[in-house]
Amino acid sequence: MHLNGTHQLNATPQEIWKLLMNIDVLARITPAIDRLEPLGNDKYTAIAEVKLGPVKGSFTGEMEIADKQEPEHFTLRMQQNSRIGNVSAEGQIKLQPGASGQTEVAFTGDAKLSGTLARMGQRVLGGVANSLVKQFFKNLEDEIQANA
Amino acid sequence: MTYIGKSVKRVEDRRFITGKGRYTDDIVLPGMTHAYILRSPYAHAKINGIDTSEAKAMDGVVAVFTGEDVKDIAGVPCGWQVNFKNGDTMKEPPHPLLVRDKVRHVGDAVAIVIAEEREIARDAADLIQVDYEELPAVVNAADAVQDGKALVHDDVPNNICFDWELGNPKEEVDAALDAADHITTLEFVNQRVTPNAIEPRSAIGSYESAGDHYTLYTTSQNPHLIRLLMCAFVLGIPEHKVRVVAPDVGGGFGSKIFHYTEEALMVWCSKQLERPVKWTADRSESFITDAQGRDHSTKAEMGFDKDGNIVGLRIKTFANLGAYLSTFSTCVPTWLHGTLLQGLYTTPKINVDVTAVFTNTVAVDAYRGAGRPEATYLLERMIDTAALEMGRDPAELRLQNFIPPFDGVEQAGYMTQVALQYDSGNYHRALEKALEMVDYKKFRKDQEKARAEGKLLGIGFSTYIEACGIAPSAVVGSLGARAGLYESAQVRVQPTGKVSVYTGSHSHGQGHETTFAQVVADRLGIDIGDVEIVHGDSEAVAFGMGTYGSRSLAVGGSAIMKSLDKVLEKGAKIAAHKLEAAVEDLDFAEGKWTVKGTDKSISFADVSLTAYVPHDYPQNLEPGMDFSSFYDPANFTYPFGAHIAIVEVDKDTGKVTLKRFVAVDDVGNVINPMIVEGQIHGGLAQGIGQALFEETIYDENGQLINGSYMDYTMPRADDLPSFEVDRTVTPCPHNPLGVKGAGEAGTIGSTPAVVNAVMDALSPLGIKNLAMPLTPERVWRYIQE
Repeated sequence: MHLNGTHQLNATPQEIWKLLMNIDVLARITPAIDRLEPLGNDKYTAIAEVKLGPVKGSFTGEMEIADKQEPEHFTLRMQQNSRIGNVSAEGQIKLQPGASGQTEVAFTGDAKLSGTLARMGQRVLGGVANSLVKQFFKNLEDEIQANA
Repeated sequence: MTYIGKSVKRVEDRRFITGKGRYTDDIVLPGMTHAYILRSPYAHAKINGIDTSEAKAMDGVVAVFTGEDVKDIAGVPCGWQVNFKNGDTMKEPPHPLLVRDKVRHVGDAVAIVIAEEREIARDAADLIQVDYEELPAVVNAADAVQDGKALVHDDVPNNICFDWELGNPKEEVDAALDAADHITTLEFVNQRVTPNAIEPRSAIGSYESAGDHYTLYTTSQNPHLIRLLMCAFVLGIPEHKVRVVAPDVGGGFGSKIFHYTEEALMVWCSKQLERPVKWTADRSESFITDAQGRDHSTKAEMGFDKDGNIVGLRIKTFANLGAYLSTFSTCVPTWLHGTLLQGLYTTPKINVDVTAVFTNTVAVDAYRGAGRPEATYLLERMIDTAALEMGRDPAELRLQNFIPPFDGVEQAGYMTQVALQYDSGNYHRALEKALEMVDYKKFRKDQEKARAEGKLLGIGFSTYIEACGIAPSAVVGSLGARAGLYESAQVRVQPTGKVSVYTGSHSHGQGHETTFAQVVADRLGIDIGDVEIVHGDSEAVAFGMGTYGSRSLAVGGSAIMKSLDKVLEKGAKIAAHKLEAAVEDLDFAEGKWTVKGTDKSISFADVSLTAYVPHDYPQNLEPGMDFSSFYDPANFTYPFGAHIAIVEVDKDTGKVTLKRFVAVDDVGNVINPMIVEGQIHGGLAQGIGQALFEETIYDENGQLINGSYMDYTMPRADDLPSFEVDRTVTPCPHNPLGVKGAGEAGTIGSTPAVVNAVMDALSPLGIKNLAMPLTPERVWRYIQE
């Protein structure tokens, strides 16, 4: 399952980078994550309650921030496990400076589902995948405004 | 009283419609425990470790077992050996009860939790930690054979189970096609479907230490064969210590023929615990563990001369077998598929080449029709497409190429290019009847008018043959079957003339308790209420080879006929003694023996009473009236028919509406027309389901993505028109009832008729080969392109 999206934000790459590297903010703005607890080396325990159409479950797993190139791009890796199946996802986030202090944020990635989640959630999730990316940007925009 | 040929109401329906059916999951044994099987969420992954300690410690958990505990038990066997073209034995990797090294499909069994309650077992299974290392998966058969792809079984190169060939030498077929004036070439996928029996699978193992005796209750079409395979190949328990019961079974469609790992696992667990253990699948589990059907990718080429006569057929098929060999999975794409590629046609040169392939998906095995729908689909799609390409009428092109009528008595059976000898057939008559029923000439005029108005109206044909009444043991043995395919029947006449019949054929919807009783009551001239049909219990029934391949009446019914002959032969001796006449001077009719030309007679009940109270009795004759027989058929039976579908396609939405469906089936003699019609109706719905709605879809990681009824589309009543069914009767020349079998006809014939009709409807747009299922989305996309 592919996840793609770009969005213009009214902040500099540096400002956005700072927000994204704040773990509390990242947990708040990332759909399907409720809480991140640091494990060291940019790895975190990720906890979430997810409801996708007919399937509902509580996930625990790991999230990792890798390939950091401040303030241009980083990779987000996530492995979430639950009794209804597992999700592993990887996404690249790129920050491109634009005119008058704006930044274009691009997200490209893939998510793999397994088990019940794949059997019963895929149909629902396929449709909402890109709205999850949009949600991420929307949340990020709200954070920027709140910090402005 | 005559029962044969009458639509006697089904004896079994009273208990089914009043909720009194007794299915495996209804059975509750004293001290029974409940099992939950932990299954892999991955299609292909190495198991680096399993930690069951938390699950074991949970309150109410009785035991937890993993692959380590059952590592010394052989896996479930495959019942049919197919050899490579070069003579090597097929690759037959083990199918363990619980896996140890790696999982090979989503749903592969990793551990079993047994608890006092089902919910406890389920919750405890969540506490088991399995350390998986995910591996790349293969899903598509044609793709899985490429070099460098992931291997489902590390010791099976290129995932190839076997390659196989049948028919005329390839060079001869190549030459015939080279000389052809027209060649129709099509590539097809006969998509994977899920059988979806209404009753999920269930099994109870019960061990009694007092007698060192085991009982297995299971949802099976095939209880005796399960006992044989489980005892001899898996658990090594002597058969006389094992009873297998298949009580009421809520549909099978092939998926309950096979010996599944869960059956042996429940029996083994019950011995470890000395308590009964029950497992029942839920619907989601059925989607990832019941053997699935079809999944062929085929390239077909059919050559014609300038007059439209078929001159050759060349087939290359990749058959997806899934991750493990199921009981009959190897014979489906070979001996049940390749042998049917003659169809109804006089094609002089045929070559079929099949590569059977392992993938990281659920096992594929027989599903209603088993191989024959795949063969029929490709033949019938080819003929309709060829007609379109050559500007011929598809019905006429068929009639021109049909094998001429033969009854198998006066005229010999028809020897095909692909190893079979058809028993009897009149294919022209069936198609002509169907054409009359649709009023074909008028339809073509209506179609012209509809097209002028911009409507997409189409007609599709399918004229099929199937090999049923499976099967002569010597023949199937020479083809690799590891079992005989005869049937047994015991007829026990009780002292008062009531009759108990023990048949090895199992009923799970076919109506044996009615049809078989009609045969017995007619033959003995007694009331149908005086006959009881017993089936499905290895303790009661001597032996059986189960129900599949439309074999119940042709093989099981013939075994009953043999025992009835023995009953009547002995009865005549007793009657002759009582009537003081010679056996030759007696007639038997309407339940009594009469001395020819007199009114001296004795009833069947009086004779049976005499057999058990032998005071005044023939010398040297044993008392009692109880006969067993085994019947091994001389040949397969070959039902055939003509199906015609009329559809309209909505240009704007792509939705296909099935407006009419006409089916003329020839299943030989008919015992109960209503039951035959019911079988045809159900089969049509399933076949139409494959054409328009059903498809089991795996993503590229081997994840099943439509494993629920929200995602997998089954046909519903409002998707179907009122079927117009009729029949012709060409009796089977080689069994005593002249019957051919009706269980699979509907599924085999209907699918290509519907697809052909849609292609005919879309032909003004230049579309000639769409893949099934023809969902509105798929059709709409093609129309847009």
